[in-house]
Amino acid sequence: MNAPELRAEDVTVRFAGLTALDEVSFTVAPGSAHALIGPNGAGKSTCFNVLSGLYRPATGSVRLGETELTRLAPHRIAALGVARTFQNIVTTEGTVADNLMLGRHVLTRAGFTASALHLPRARREQREHLARVREIAELTGLAAHFDTPVALLSYGDRKRVELARALCLEPRVLLLDEPVAGMNAAERARTAGVIRDVRAELGLSVVLVEHDMGLVMRLADEVTVLDFGRAIAHGSPDDVRRDPEVLRAYLGTATTQEGAA
Amino acid sequence: MSDRRIPFDRLRLKPAGTVALALLLCLPPFYLDAFWLRIGLFSLAAAIGAVGLSLLAGTAGQLSLGHAFFLAVGAYGYTALAGEPGPGLPPALAVVLAVLLAGAAGGLFSPVAARVRGIYLGVATLALVFLGHHLLLTADSVTGGFNGRSVPPLTLGGFAFAEDGRELVVLGVPFGAEERLWYLGLALFGITCFTARGLLRSRPGRALAALRDSETAAAVMGVDVARHRSAAFVVSSMYAGLAGVLLALAFRRVVPDYFSLALSVDYLAMIVIGGLGSVAGATAGAVFVTALPLLMTRYADQLPLVATPGSGDGAVGPTEAARYLYGAAIVLILLYAPDGLHGLARRVRGRLPGRHSPGSPSREPAGPPPSPSSPAARPKEHTP
Repeated sequence: MNAPELRAEDVTVRFAGLTALDEVSFTVAPGSAHALIGPNGAGKSTCFNVLSGLYRPATGSVRLGETELTRLAPHRIAALGVARTFQNIVTTEGTVADNLMLGRHVLTRAGFTASALHLPRARREQREHLARVREIAELTGLAAHFDTPVALLSYGDRKRVELARALCLEPRVLLLDEPVAGMNAAERARTAGVIRDVRAELGLSVVLVEHDMGLVMRLADEVTVLDFGRAIAHGSPDDVRRDPEVLRAYLGTATTQEGAA
Repeated sequence: MSDRRIPFDRLRLKPAGTVALALLLCLPPFYLDAFWLRIGLFSLAAAIGAVGLSLLAGTAGQLSLGHAFFLAVGAYGYTALAGEPGPGLPPALAVVLAVLLAGAAGGLFSPVAARVRGIYLGVATLALVFLGHHLLLTADSVTGGFNGRSVPPLTLGGFAFAEDGRELVVLGVPFGAEERLWYLGLALFGITCFTARGLLRSRPGRALAALRDSETAAAVMGVDVARHRSAAFVVSSMYAGLAGVLLALAFRRVVPDYFSLALSVDYLAMIVIGGLGSVAGATAGAVFVTALPLLMTRYADQLPLVATPGSGDGAVGPTEAARYLYGAAIVLILLYAPDGLHGLARRVRGRLPGRHSPGSPSREPAGPPPSPSSPAARPKEHTP
């Protein structure tokens, strides 16, 4: 497996007075699926934004293999093979193909001059990458919509376009922020299948933020539970499910409810 | 709302269509007089500038009110570099340098462009127009001050794109300045279309469109946000510079007052009327906004409610009437066709009978491999 280890150590993020992440540490083993779960506002998306370089943590480090990510701009992190999707769909206008080709940005070279002049190498590059993008569209079940404007697709399909676009980076680490949120049962099963397939086929690590516990239990090898910005539990899905701290965070008890209020 | 504008230019002409259109555009000098050719020439120049602005504002989503400034850099750059007093460079070289100069001006502004967004960027670019106007008025030695400068004619290998005393007759038609400049304009416009389509349909165009729709998502997909924001400004300014050169050649004199805020607004009107982010749309908008006032001036005496120029009887003059008209056009377009003339044309085309029939030969890609910008309505051929 070519995926390097992704290790977050003591990551702290503060927004004005609020500590969104408080010394959070976890390690995503190469080629594994790691889920971040926790109640709303626990800091899961903040954590993703640190991993993809959108937020700079106040302290702590994030390492991909030997490379420190916290000082890199998002596009450099993408170039290292870290791809992500967003909680709310962020696609570009245009067809599915246009969106997926955007995913090839870091893997392609054609610049303004070469593209403006239609240089043969720019055209050849586009042709070659389009072929690979078509394969990824087939892998993710989007082949039938390849030339359809994204705006015309259903919600579930658009979510899948984001997933496919992230895969087009040929990532070594794939960050998925609620990949099945808002989908119906059939769409969920289909997306879960796609995630499982690409893991098996491409050997990449997956970091998953998800509220759907069924999906987390089925996909994840390891789970980190966040609550109010702190990592309160680590372990296999089964261990975490039985952890009293986790149950308290999700269901609440008399004492913590007072504390939370 | 679902099928609003689409970023990449979908008006796909097959090679044969392009050649036919190019040949058609070569005909006017043989049939039309100088008045019409001048309208065409100004339209071509405006179209080049509008394509540039469309790339910046439509594709990359950066509002610019400073387009007039970059047009001025091109126009004055050419005049100063090729003319006397000045280095007196060969005019063809001066054209290239003027375009590069405009690009450099865009590059100088890009630190601002990389930091300021949306309406604030619009206001920041506004400052360029005022700064430019001030410079044009005060730097007399280069710009000629208030009275401007006369523009040296472009000569290429001994052939002058102007009256040069030598009679040139092609197929029985005397070729004066307008006839010659028409072909120059056509060639420059051809270059513009070719390069802009190349940009829009490939990696840089996709990156710019991604920036427009979400900078966060673009950055996460590996797009260097600051670099691409600057590059959009540089490229757009280069098109503006080229348009400026052609305008200068067509006017034969450059004056500061032409390059005012109103000109920037005209260019914005062009791309809104034509449809943001497409070459064909920018061209249609440019022709509309440029030709309308000229035509109304010409036919003022035959139009109701429009006064003949110079009659001064308090009625609406043709230029004002044209402005009212295109003001109304903008409002109508924003209300009923927010994707502009280009989007309107696309939707009308889509509704025409026969266009949807599968296997319609006109829709099949002829020769070139399928590209990501295939028309949306094309039936899928799914190969497992």
